[in-house]
Amino acid sequence: MQTQNTINTLIEETGGWVASQLEACTRCGMCAEACHFYQATGNPEYSPVWKIELLRRAYEQNFTIGGKIKKLLGIEKEVTEQDLESWSKTVYEACTVCNKCSMVCPMGIDLGPIIHNVRTGLQAAGMVPKDLADAVQKQVDEGSPLGVTDDVFEDRIEWIEDDWEVDIPMDVKGADTLVVFTSIEIMKFPNNLAAIATIMNKAGENWTLSSAGREVVNFGYFEGNPERTKLFLNRVIDAAKDLGVKRVMVTECGHAYDAFRWTAHNMVDVPKDLEFTHIVAVLDEFIKAGRIKMKPGAFDKDGTVTFHDACKIQRRGGHIQEPRDILNILAPQSFKELTPNKEQSLCCGGGGGVIAIKEADENRFAAFGLKVDQLKKVGAKTVAMACSNCRLQFTEGVQHYDLDVKVTGLSQMVFDALED
Amino acid sequence: MDWSEILRFARGPLFQIALLVFVAGMVFRLIRILLLGWSKDRVPNKGSKFGGVVKTYLKGLIILPFIPWVKNTFSRNPIVYLAGFVFHLGLFAVIFLGTAHMLVWKSLLGFGWATLPTPIIDWLAAVTIIAIIALAINRIVNPVLRKISGVPEWLNLIFVLIPFITGYMMYHHLWFEYNLLFSLHMFSVDWLLVWIPMSRLSHFMFYFFSRTIHGAQFGKRAVTP
Repeated sequence: MQTQNTINTLIEETGGWVASQLEACTRCGMCAEACHFYQATGNPEYSPVWKIELLRRAYEQNFTIGGKIKKLLGIEKEVTEQDLESWSKTVYEACTVCNKCSMVCPMGIDLGPIIHNVRTGLQAAGMVPKDLADAVQKQVDEGSPLGVTDDVFEDRIEWIEDDWEVDIPMDVKGADTLVVFTSIEIMKFPNNLAAIATIMNKAGENWTLSSAGREVVNFGYFEGNPERTKLFLNRVIDAAKDLGVKRVMVTECGHAYDAFRWTAHNMVDVPKDLEFTHIVAVLDEFIKAGRIKMKPGAFDKDGTVTFHDACKIQRRGGHIQEPRDILNILAPQSFKELTPNKEQSLCCGGGGGVIAIKEADENRFAAFGLKVDQLKKVGAKTVAMACSNCRLQFTEGVQHYDLDVKVTGLSQMVFDALED
Repeated sequence: MDWSEILRFARGPLFQIALLVFVAGMVFRLIRILLLGWSKDRVPNKGSKFGGVVKTYLKGLIILPFIPWVKNTFSRNPIVYLAGFVFHLGLFAVIFLGTAHMLVWKSLLGFGWATLPTPIIDWLAAVTIIAIIALAINRIVNPVLRKISGVPEWLNLIFVLIPFITGYMMYHHLWFEYNLLFSLHMFSVDWLLVWIPMSRLSHFMFYFFSRTIHGAQFGKRAVTP
């Protein structure tokens, strides 16, 4: 039975790490105040504490005396299929797993990963929004949720090499760095590929793409399905092993970095010496080692430049200082921070799979309204970021709000400012 | 009614039993959690887990009570921060720095300590009662709290309020004979000791789990918790 699958999965997921945190909740409701979806809509069902209520119920009703008594006496309700549907809408369409909630919880409960566990429970009952489920299936069948098949990939790379006159090495055995792009970049921001490829070449990096391990996004991770998460992780890791690289560089993507750098080792076998890094750290590495040179102040002439911290790269990834060091070279006079920023920054509203779900459009544009306020407050004319999902959300968002702000990627800016 | 006899029972054998139930209950809940399985973390660290833990505890003890660091959230729900802080401050002050209570600890532990003058404790108790009432009003008014609060949340507020009210009445010899008030105070405290392991009031024990996990997870990623 559907709901039983969810309950069983939720219970399997509840080890001491999760249960001790569930026990710590005092129902103070502060987490809601940190949630951009709650802030934007005022819907109390969007409070993080409510998002994990399913898990709390499954845990208490199966592990605690009080919970068992409440279920027996009918004081607390059994989980129904309507419950699953309602929660599915909430945790997939009104949550980007940005984890800002964990920063305001007075108990320090790490709600983001716990919400991820709720997703795992829901997908065990097949309760995943159709758009997301379809995209996952596409990634299973074609290698990419955006339909970048082997042929499309080959064609796009060839086209980018030609049009931008840049060498993009493919399947080079013995390379040091395996670069893996997102299909968002391949399809929507091809200039990003050209920019990053040029930078890698200019820095003299021994790098390569892989035709087998060509998709860095992990829609199984959004879905919360462990098997598919592992499948997509392994496609890249197998390619890395096959080519004998030292490290895998995630390009401008957030959740992919979360999946590879912070989750993979607990799910699949990762070769002991294989490193996972992010383009933002590699850019910083190249610049500080003098392997690439940028024109100082290249972006100081077009009004205020600001930076949007991507949840999975900054708050959940730790690469907070690198973009700032870069922007302080590119726009020392014009770079101004959003408020709040760094690890406290506001999510763009499009991550966690939300942007893939048509029904979530109202939510994500409402949440983006908060970013619009931030941009207006600082008077930004340009906003940079290091995640393509954010970039897509921002691009659609500024259009939706008719905002005169240029949306760009950090790698693009570095490329634009490259000095020969 | 012979309140002195009732009092002798409430602060004597009943108190001992309540303490026993309290300790046994908390140990039971601790062991239940510890036995649930704790998977190993094989992901390499970027920063220091320990460093993150230290930072988050310092923030919680030294900074948080005084400056809400996520300013955006403070302005959206200041009552929880302010009343919550005042309540906990008053609670700790009354329980540990009130002379009457310190003497109870002394009888349990064998040693006592310096305490605050009772008029100050009395003032703190009054402020704490106001904080509890503010939190209760907030729980009725705030839409999120209305959604997530059930009977247990209300019982928690009531069971914590009664010891404060009865204690306050005792000190001021309000309206009833002293031994009656004292007995009520002891009954309410004895009940609270039994209630804590059965409720979310036990959060002070689980605080050490969630706070430590939080600090470790942020420290691991080299992000300030």
